[in-house]
Amino acid sequence: MNMQKAWLVFKKDWLEIKRNWQVLLPIILLPLIFSVVFPIIISSVSNAPTQDVSSGDFQLLTANLPADVQALLAEMTPNQVMVYIMVLYFFAPFFLIIPVMASSVMASDSFAGERERKTIEALLATPISNSELLMGKILVSFIPAMIVTIASFAVYSTIVDIITFEIFNGILLLPNANWLIMIFGVAPVIAICSIGLTVIISAKVKGFKEAQQISVILLLPVLGLVFGQMSGLIILGPLVLAALIGILAVVDVAIIYAGVRMFQREEILAKNN
Amino acid sequence: MIETKNLTRKFRNITAVDNISFNIEKGEVFGFLGPNGAGKTTTIRMLACLISPTEGTATVAGYDIRSDPTKVRESIGILTENPSLYERLTAYENMDFFAAAYGIKTSDERQQRIRELLDFFNLWDRRNDKVATFSKGMKQKLAIVRAIVHRPPVLFLDEPTAGLDPESAKEIRDLMFQLSQHEKRTILLCTHHLEDAEKLCKRVLIMNKGRCILTGSPNELRDKINPQPVLEIELTKVSSIVLNAIKNENYAKEVKVLDQENIIAVSVGDARVDTPKIVRTIVEAQGQILSVKLLRPSLEEAYLKLIKEGKQQ
Ligand SMILES: Nc1ncnc2c1ncn2[C@@H]1O[C@H](COP(=O)(O)OP(=O)(O)O)[C@@H](O)[C@H]1O
Ligand SMILES: [Mg+2]
Repeated sequence: MNMQKAWLVFKKDWLEIKRNWQVLLPIILLPLIFSVVFPIIISSVSNAPTQDVSSGDFQLLTANLPADVQALLAEMTPNQVMVYIMVLYFFAPFFLIIPVMASSVMASDSFAGERERKTIEALLATPISNSELLMGKILVSFIPAMIVTIASFAVYSTIVDIITFEIFNGILLLPNANWLIMIFGVAPVIAICSIGLTVIISAKVKGFKEAQQISVILLLPVLGLVFGQMSGLIILGPLVLAALIGILAVVDVAIIYAGVRMFQREEILAKNN
Repeated sequence: MIETKNLTRKFRNITAVDNISFNIEKGEVFGFLGPNGAGKTTTIRMLACLISPTEGTATVAGYDIRSDPTKVRESIGILTENPSLYERLTAYENMDFFAAAYGIKTSDERQQRIRELLDFFNLWDRRNDKVATFSKGMKQKLAIVRAIVHRPPVLFLDEPTAGLDPESAKEIRDLMFQLSQHEKRTILLCTHHLEDAEKLCKRVLIMNKGRCILTGSPNELRDKINPQPVLEIELTKVSSIVLNAIKNENYAKEVKVLDQENIIAVSVGDARVDTPKIVRTIVEAQGQILSVKLLRPSLEEAYLKLIKEGKQQ
């Protein structure tokens, strides 16, 4: 595989996506909401009178936290506990929605969209190999998805730290190990998983819109994590995160393998007309 | 340069291309004629390694389309049925991407080549406009530029002049002529414009419902349809003396008078032998000849007749 050719495809697709509001809007809006609106919620909670914030809302979550965290919480005021749990646990799984959604929106446009706009024929006629094409298109879904994920994490951390700086007497809550593992470990493998599935879906549907609609299914497992943690069933600690990375990595290999098999250029045009 | 052998492609229940075999020589412009749905585009797609044949093989520029697809793709330029351009990119960005994809390494080299070609079509000034703002004809020209940007020895052009104004169509015809005559590029030209085929192609292949009906030069094609040449002779006045004189000659197979115009149409066996004889007969009968014209059926007539016969079968 010639990486230069893959980059060429990447640059071309990126140039197109950059000018396509249908694609840009969702991948900018959602991270913006998460990284700005969540801290605002935290801020309003932390300013509320103490008696209003009972840790009862998070009882299930708190009860299942590891012992060392429980010990830490025991020494905090109820207000601090509230903020601590919201910042570090409650909002965390939401940030995994970003790589899933962003990469699937971009992959839908790059695969199903390119075919729908009928530009795929000239592209397939070039001497760029299947693997170079696939690599370029995977990268154009992966890299921007990771950029918005990391950027929203950075914005969230910054705002959160500014807001909570005083509450925790100068201790910065973010970044911490859990979040770093999640953003730099789980997010990439979950993004690749989502891209692979979108490639497969794109091969089966007519256009960009349908591909995107079907890929919404990909959000279900992530929402499972959101509710799992809310109810205290799954706590995203280092072990769970590591296990998640391991499982997703295996799934990635299987899905990419299937995606490569679906992406047979000699049949892409024959299937759809 | 291009050799196909029993090329066949089936889609579920239909056979889009059925056992097509032909050879095209280097520098030749080979015409592909046939009504919509005949299988022209499917044949080109197989030769360009865009879809695989169900049966049969072909070599393009010396490479087998089954075993060496990348080499084939490197050696060809293709104008697809749709312009297949990125509407959100500018004309220049489109061309630059494809030039690089076809292996033109440095951006200076690409720019020089793109400029040369866009200048030819008077599109250089529009290079920084998005393709979405281009007219159909401009997109078509841009797509042709893309097809030849890497100077491929073999060109596949799928209806290059379809839907263009006469001036643009002529520009493209001139370009094709130049490419084949001066640069010795081999061109497979799909077209509905029989005028294009007549002016450019040494040989044509007529296809219908996936089958090859006929291969030959445009002239051979016409002769096959109408083996008897017709002479149209215009006189100052058609008199019965002249008419009878001609009818009495045994070489005149059929004589018709086109009333209003003082023209006699005579079917003959061999125009080269019979034309002087007819002229002598008319002069001897005191007829005053204004002009003598040898009529061949137009390629269009021949084509339409062949397709019709094909349908009746
Ligand atoms: N991808 C495809 N799937 C199913 N049928 C197809 C496909 N491509 C072409 N065909 C059919 O093959 C036949 C030949 O089509 P085509 O090669 O486009 O004809 P032409 O270019 O001569 O107009 C048509 O009947 C068309 O419907
Ligand atoms: Mg066609």
